Amino acid sequence: MVKHMRGTGNKREILGTRVCTSGEMSSLEDIFSTNQCPTAVFTSQGTDVTPNGDRGVCKIVKQHGVEGERPMIGDRVFVHYTGRLLNGKKFDSSLDRKEPFVFNVGKGQVIKSWDIGVCSMQKGEVCLMLCKPEYAYGSAGSPPKVPPNATLVFEIELLNFRGQELIEDGGIVKRIKVKGEGYNNPNEGATVHVHLEGWCGGRLFESRDVTFIVGESEDVGVPLGVDRAMEKIQKGERCLLYLKPKYGYGKEGNKEYDIGSNAELVYEVTLKDFEKAKECWEMNLKEKTDRAVLVKQKGTQYFKAGRYNYAVIQYQQIVNWLEMECGSGMDEQKAIHALLLVAHLNLALCYLRLREYSLTVENCNQVLEMDPENEKALYRRGEARLLRNEFNMALVDFKKVLQVNSFNRAARSQIAVCQRKIREHHDRDKKIYANMFQRFAEHDDKVGRLKRKKEESGISDQNKQGLKRQRLSQDGS
Amino acid sequence: MALEQLSDVVQRCQANKDESFSPEDYDLFLTAGRTCIEQGDSAQVLSILVDEKNKNVVRCMGWNLLGPLVQMLLKKEEKNLPHCHAILSHLLEVCNPKELLVGLLEQVEEADSASIAETLTLLLKPLQTVLLRLGMKKASSVGMALSTLLSQVARLPVPVTKEQEEDDVFGLCCCCTALLQFVKPFVEEIKEKKDNNRISKDNELRVELLKFCMKSLSEPLLEVQLKDPDTLQKSPLRDFATEILVILSNIGESLPDLLSRNVLKKREVPGFLEEEVRYPKESLACMCHLLFVNHVAVDIFPAVLSPVFVLQCNMEYIELLLSRTEVSRLLKGLELYEKSLVRVEDNSLLVDLLELKTFFSVPLNLVKVMTLCPDQTLRTKGLKVFQLSIDKFNTEAKYKFFRGMLKTSHHAGVEGYVIKNIKNQIDFSLKPSNGNDWFLGKHLLPLLRLVLCLPHGPETDLLQNLDRIMESLNLLRYMLIRDKEWENETGIWTELYKIEDNYLKPMRTGLNMSKAHYEAELKSMKENKKSSSKDSKASACTVTVDNEKLPNMTPEMQIQVLQSALFTFDLIESVLARIEEIIEAKEKPLS
Repeated sequence: MVKHMRGTGNKREILGTRVCTSGEMSSLEDIFSTNQCPTAVFTSQGTDVTPNGDRGVCKIVKQHGVEGERPMIGDRVFVHYTGRLLNGKKFDSSLDRKEPFVFNVGKGQVIKSWDIGVCSMQKGEVCLMLCKPEYAYGSAGSPPKVPPNATLVFEIELLNFRGQELIEDGGIVKRIKVKGEGYNNPNEGATVHVHLEGWCGGRLFESRDVTFIVGESEDVGVPLGVDRAMEKIQKGERCLLYLKPKYGYGKEGNKEYDIGSNAELVYEVTLKDFEKAKECWEMNLKEKTDRAVLVKQKGTQYFKAGRYNYAVIQYQQIVNWLEMECGSGMDEQKAIHALLLVAHLNLALCYLRLREYSLTVENCNQVLEMDPENEKALYRRGEARLLRNEFNMALVDFKKVLQVNSFNRAARSQIAVCQRKIREHHDRDKKIYANMFQRFAEHDDKVGRLKRKKEESGISDQNKQGLKRQRLSQDGS
Repeated sequence: MALEQLSDVVQRCQANKDESFSPEDYDLFLTAGRTCIEQGDSAQVLSILVDEKNKNVVRCMGWNLLGPLVQMLLKKEEKNLPHCHAILSHLLEVCNPKELLVGLLEQVEEADSASIAETLTLLLKPLQTVLLRLGMKKASSVGMALSTLLSQVARLPVPVTKEQEEDDVFGLCCCCTALLQFVKPFVEEIKEKKDNNRISKDNELRVELLKFCMKSLSEPLLEVQLKDPDTLQKSPLRDFATEILVILSNIGESLPDLLSRNVLKKREVPGFLEEEVRYPKESLACMCHLLFVNHVAVDIFPAVLSPVFVLQCNMEYIELLLSRTEVSRLLKGLELYEKSLVRVEDNSLLVDLLELKTFFSVPLNLVKVMTLCPDQTLRTKGLKVFQLSIDKFNTEAKYKFFRGMLKTSHHAGVEGYVIKNIKNQIDFSLKPSNGNDWFLGKHLLPLLRLVLCLPHGPETDLLQNLDRIMESLNLLRYMLIRDKEWENETGIWTELYKIEDNYLKPMRTGLNMSKAHYEAELKSMKENKKSSSKDSKASACTVTVDNEKLPNMTPEMQIQVLQSALFTFDLIESVLARIEEIIEAKEKPLS
């Protein structure tokens, strides 16, 4: 504070000329180093950006950004900023942390003035912003940094922004056009009423009102990406969804809409209304087991149609509902046990088809924990390991299958395959690749999972043929 | 004798150029070396070990001496100390770092609870030296070391009072400070990488440090009640907490992202189970408590987040903390809830928030604390926070919240408290220019139906439900007096005939029945007492609390209890009668 006062004398001279030429204040420091009250500077030069025009948030653009590129609601925005109280005291700055501040704009994550102000900025823009307490921390303040009823002044630079990733692998990106209401979202099993517009390469290929159950959008021909996004959309919201092929029509494309192989899609979705399904914690055990039976049937239906991603959703629900249940009495325990076992077994098979071998192994392990001699689990784990080039471990699994059921001919032939592969590798790569596969597999296990998932787009159905023969004996749980 | 053995075996091994020493050699080296060190011949041992000729032998077998050496160093005998230290630093320089690591960690693990602090202070520096010698391949070893060290530190008792922290008898503070020194170079390494080129989230050393921070947060920090700077100016534990948060941010974990992890979770691709393991909710709960209650590391936390968003994020952690039974967790949960609420303006929380699961489960947990927690101060604090949370809701949200609480709390005391709040809201709404749709008129009546009811009709246990009944009757009386019939802003007068039938009449019946019953009991008790003053001592059952048998109730006490029940009924009756009077007065002019 004192420092600022001392410096004002000559600085004002220089500043005065700059303001004259540029018509803008050049920085936060300058505003505070003039003798003028910062509020007055904003009154004379700032533009009010509040929707209701109460001058609660005033903005002075210091450096213009790229015309036309403004963040949309929900976008992940990257900013650098410094915040000061009216007396010039700096209370926070991302520059001091040497780390841009990142948040989803327009979603109430930051103080009101920021949601309003940052939405009004263009990419690369630097601005000064005056925020009245009603748009900042109000009468409560933000202890220990911001006192009650404080007007705040920020300098903000909008570095970058991008749509919100809805899924870990980045295959579904959302940008909101019109904000929805409340905090309530559809859940797995909810019934949603939506308006959809689908675009592919700038061409509108579908536009319709449709109702579906979350997790079962396949039934009405709505792609997986739209289905998976529903959990993050609110009632009344209109948003754009950018889908990678895996979450659109994948490798096979869609004839009806004239969409080729591996096409990226854009959907505009309006969630008109929805009815939630009961959450896990709202159901009693009886409801859970009853629904689990239905969900299992639905899953099997998808599996038979080759829609493994959808089958996974169904089977996974069983696990989510029942994995923490223990039930009272033998009958209940048995029922839960049986449902969980089937769910994991079927998940293992789905993941095998989806080439998610580590997930196959994981689910088989779950089964084997409950039932160490489960023939199908052992066989499927063997298959997954074989496909992951873990021949020796696969061999052990298939041998165990034979111990459990010596008539399993499929296992017998798989053992032969394993032995042949082991021999081949041994012979061919004896010297050069010694230990390589072991290490490769280990490394794969640790860091490769993420990468593999990215490569997996659109290969869900490739794998059907080669495994058809075994399915006759292995399916049907 | 042992000394000769040692030099013998070393000499024999000198000749062995390919370093394939036999197990016998190892054994002999160890036993002889141990005896020498224990006997105080460390100077001679040192001279053997530093002999250039013996370098290979020492490199292979030297680490075996760590055990006896460390024991000797811990004894702190003046005459041996310098030599033992010299031996240790020589070994650290010469031997294989992996073997040294195993040897040193073994010593850490073996430390009994009394010597943990000393062992740690002694061995942290050597451990660090050894790990740094491992170069680029150290990540998993660092992880192993950190996890071993923290498990030992977690065994130390946590200081409770300011004096205990200052005295640090068990050495937790000193261990924490030493641990920070220990991780420093590793954090620096990651920070440097992060500042230069973006570091991968999966960098192994980074992940190990992340694990360390998360583990430190859950143990010991979740147990620690930090003192504020006014009470304790220099607090090693507060420094430790601060530094853990700084490390998190230095290794590329954004604190605001950690705060909102559970709220902004992306749809999980199945199989990302590791995430849960990496970021345990309990550790994050501790982090939020440090940030928002202790105001630790505020300088690295952005001050632009909206208070409602912070509350919403914190609710996840409050839910977790309040679902526990340990006093320390409950207290932290209450504190975090309080501080998150205080930042929010009164009457500002929108009804939409109640759609969130946490806003439904936290109040239920809070009810448990208020009614079942054995600790009086926590119960009181719970009630205070409960009221604070009510104050922050806007009118509609208050309405919905009260309705929810009446349906779910199942506790007459809590229900009574909620009813008192309803009365306050009605009172507020009846004041000029405070009118609203929720506590007047058509919305109010359904809420009143929940209030003015007897769960089991006339058979309802009036004593057990006393709090609720008294508040309900008070509310009714208040409304009938405050809201004149010709104004009828609340709508109570239109509803009155139903209330009479469904509430007041059964209440009257129940009251008469209870009174008659207790009076009869009292009478027979008094007669019994007269007839057989000794017999009645043999009672049908005994009650024990904390293994202590409660004395049987004497007839006098039983009479007292019955009497006080009767007084209670009188109390209920007086309010009930007043209400009936008001209603009658209203009916008279009409007839």
